[in-house]
Amino acid sequence: MSTVVTTPDAPARQTHGQHQELPFLRRYVFSTDHKIIGIQFLFMSLFFLVLGGLLAMAMRWQLAWPSNPEIPLPGGSLLPETMFTQGIMLPEFYNAAVTMHGTIMVFFAIMPLLVGTWANYLIPLQIGADDMAFPRLNMISFWLAVPAGLLMLASFGVVGGAANAGWTGYTPLSTQDVYSGVKTGQQLWALSLTILGFSSLAGSVNYITTIVNMRAPGMTWFRMPLSTWALFITSILILLAIPVLAGAMILMFFDQTIGTNFYDPTTGGQPLLWQHLFWFFGHPEVYILILPAMGFVSDILANGARKPIFGYAAMVWAIIAIAFLGWVVWGHHMFMSGMNPMLGGAFMITTLMIAVPSAIKTFNWLGTLWRGNIHFHSPMLYALSFVALFVVGGLSGIFLAATPVDIPLHDTYFVVAHIHYVLFGGSLFGIFGAITFWFPKMFGRLMNETLNKVHWLLTFVLFNIVFFPMHMLGSGGMMRRLYDPLQYPHLQDMQDTNVLITVAALGLFTVQLLFAFNFFWSLFRGKVADANPWQANSLEWSAPSPPPHGNWGGALPVVHRGPYEYSAPDRDSDFWLQADPEGGTAHAAH
Amino acid sequence: MEGHTHSSPPAASGTSSATTPAPETSHKAPNYYLVWLFLAVLTVAEVGVAFLSAIPKQVLVIALILMAVWKALLVALYYMHLKFEPRRLWLIVAAPLPLAIILVAVVLLEQW
Amino acid sequence: MSQAAAATLDRSTSGFGVYNLKLGMWVFLLSEVMFFTGLIGAYIILRFANPEQFAEPGVVLNVPLTALNTFILICSSVSMVKAFAEIERGNQKGLRMWLLVTIALGIVFLSIQAYEYSLLAHEGFVPVADAYAAIGRHGGETIVGGPLYGATFYTMTGFHGAHVTIGVLCLMFTAFKAFRGGYSAQNVGGVEIMGLYWHFVDLVWIILFTIVYLI
Repeated sequence: MSTVVTTPDAPARQTHGQHQELPFLRRYVFSTDHKIIGIQFLFMSLFFLVLGGLLAMAMRWQLAWPSNPEIPLPGGSLLPETMFTQGIMLPEFYNAAVTMHGTIMVFFAIMPLLVGTWANYLIPLQIGADDMAFPRLNMISFWLAVPAGLLMLASFGVVGGAANAGWTGYTPLSTQDVYSGVKTGQQLWALSLTILGFSSLAGSVNYITTIVNMRAPGMTWFRMPLSTWALFITSILILLAIPVLAGAMILMFFDQTIGTNFYDPTTGGQPLLWQHLFWFFGHPEVYILILPAMGFVSDILANGARKPIFGYAAMVWAIIAIAFLGWVVWGHHMFMSGMNPMLGGAFMITTLMIAVPSAIKTFNWLGTLWRGNIHFHSPMLYALSFVALFVVGGLSGIFLAATPVDIPLHDTYFVVAHIHYVLFGGSLFGIFGAITFWFPKMFGRLMNETLNKVHWLLTFVLFNIVFFPMHMLGSGGMMRRLYDPLQYPHLQDMQDTNVLITVAALGLFTVQLLFAFNFFWSLFRGKVADANPWQANSLEWSAPSPPPHGNWGGALPVVHRGPYEYSAPDRDSDFWLQADPEGGTAHAAH
Repeated sequence: MEGHTHSSPPAASGTSSATTPAPETSHKAPNYYLVWLFLAVLTVAEVGVAFLSAIPKQVLVIALILMAVWKALLVALYYMHLKFEPRRLWLIVAAPLPLAIILVAVVLLEQW
Repeated sequence: MSQAAAATLDRSTSGFGVYNLKLGMWVFLLSEVMFFTGLIGAYIILRFANPEQFAEPGVVLNVPLTALNTFILICSSVSMVKAFAEIERGNQKGLRMWLLVTIALGIVFLSIQAYEYSLLAHEGFVPVADAYAAIGRHGGETIVGGPLYGATFYTMTGFHGAHVTIGVLCLMFTAFKAFRGGYSAQNVGGVEIMGLYWHFVDLVWIILFTIVYLI
């Protein structure tokens, strides 16, 4: 396969590819190459993913065998006295683990995995650009995320321990240390997330400008792969949501540090103000965490089914509709907060409306598979599980959207089950699909298919054993963020379920080591990949694996068709590269 | 004022790679001093209106907000050259405005 | 980076008509809109919930002084737009002069704001206190109010002041570059995005002045 398809009318140009080799530090550490930055985000967020998983294991251990010195947390004795004494995990540490698990997974694992990693890596490759619009800003974006992560990690070591007011940081618990017992940790939490916000902003400005301005000749808006579409809309959500969070966090920091009272009800401050600002950011954040995965899955499903994606334009408009509706639903997190009840009704209606574009996407995925010549390669397996698990998470979301149903289920394990079906079953399966799919492009080697399939099977089964019973636990009245279920008589009968979940969760965590092993083994020993191992269509598969600095080796690709021309009639091969000039129309109107 | 037409598209000066040559736009430069006069007069009017105790408070607030929006529009349209930009850019610039209005409106409803 | 290569690019299909730097600045400014919306939303909810903590306009705050400051910021916008108009015509001298005027006006704005803060603090209107007791401007009686007034006032105007400070620093960099001949009629991007930021800061002040001082 030729590496770069060019046509004579593509202007010859100098790219970064021809300049002299950069020193190691500029090349791999302070790199301005979007691919290196994407890979840097990948490694950073995988580290945080493991850390967040370990915190989850500690929580699960406590829930299965609460405060039981007979069955102490393995390795717990290594923890300092302030976290773990006499075989018992202290409630303060449990609360910190709950908070940090949520914070780390949302902000430092899933979000940078979806956006930092794949927006950086894929956007220029999929639209045919040689790099981002602002490469130096891109580098700054990564090097702001690192200190933010370090601050978050450092908070475990400060007096009082890490933040323990929940990942939502509800005030006044998070602002008054008389309630939570944590002062510095809570301040570091606010500071770290504010810095991370700047990192995300720098990234979004870059992604949006790049997609708007730097598409290759022929790459019209409606020839962009759905991954790029999803990342584009996600960037807009980040751009407009993060500043609101930053503002709210800064007010929180003032409350914690210099003694203002924005959120303190005793002097007229408003806890509801924090909730409104937080969820005005927080609900778009939910879509920031799922839309990119939907994009990857769309690309992978079409590739695995060897069929054009069903209803491409409808898919694009559904992404846009979800993104817009995502702004007017934040109040559904606050049905129990004492918010104006009229608002509650309005937020319920808008929330239910989101089911429509989500269903459009789901049925279009099914339509894509319908009568396809399905190849069950490992990315396809992850993508198929994404669809199944997202539907479960979406349906439980409809339960929670209805105010009368939400009132008994609010802050129970039903909500925990819901968010994990969407964030783990949805986003993380999408990420596994994306990693396995684009790994050969990133590193020039294939991951081991067998190991991936074993990992997929065990993860899929164990995931459901862990999270499905949580629906029942929640309906049975088990509270979210609970330290010791045995304290409540109505939960004692369900303790067996908690033990089952914990055992399965330990298994689930262990299985991830298989993926980690496969990842690192394939990095050095995997089968060498050619430019297009999955026989896919989009532009990145026209570049060499891995693409050189500047991506296209001197001349930009020219795009001749949409990204989903699989199994076109009257053609021998069942895929048709976007950059393949044969029978193409390079300069269609946009 | 200077009745020159917009020169050809500016090339990005600074940091990074690609620039898009803008389509040739030709418009008269706005009279910046006239806009400045409007802004100054509106500011004086705002301060004057704010201290007229004869007007009911609600009317006063609406009048003040309208004047502020007028001034903001003058700055955006003429000083930030939005008036002379392609409509595509207007679309992008307008994107956060409904969201800002929604946030403020909901927060206001909270206190009613 | 290679600006030389940039000029040769063919971007015919994605001709959005706004070059990268300018589009990037606009996109960044949109996020700034949302940042100040968050702050203004906070002010509104706090003020409606606690009207007794806030004073009527002009009672505690020094409106004439701030009106003068508003006027100065508006003037700096004119000088900024003049700087851009001059370099569009290739007039280096005009660019440098108007940039220096803009910097001077920005510094005057900040100085007056600092003077205003110190005056208010001297009169007893401080950002953090359980209650403030300030000398009223209508007859000199003491005005007493709650902690939220000072906190919101200093936060909102303070963040605006921080934006002006950053703007002045960037203007100094732009002027430095202008004096070394870094801009020309064909290369005005740096001046234009500087202007966009500066006018945006002016625009935010127009809104804040109305909401914080006059309503």
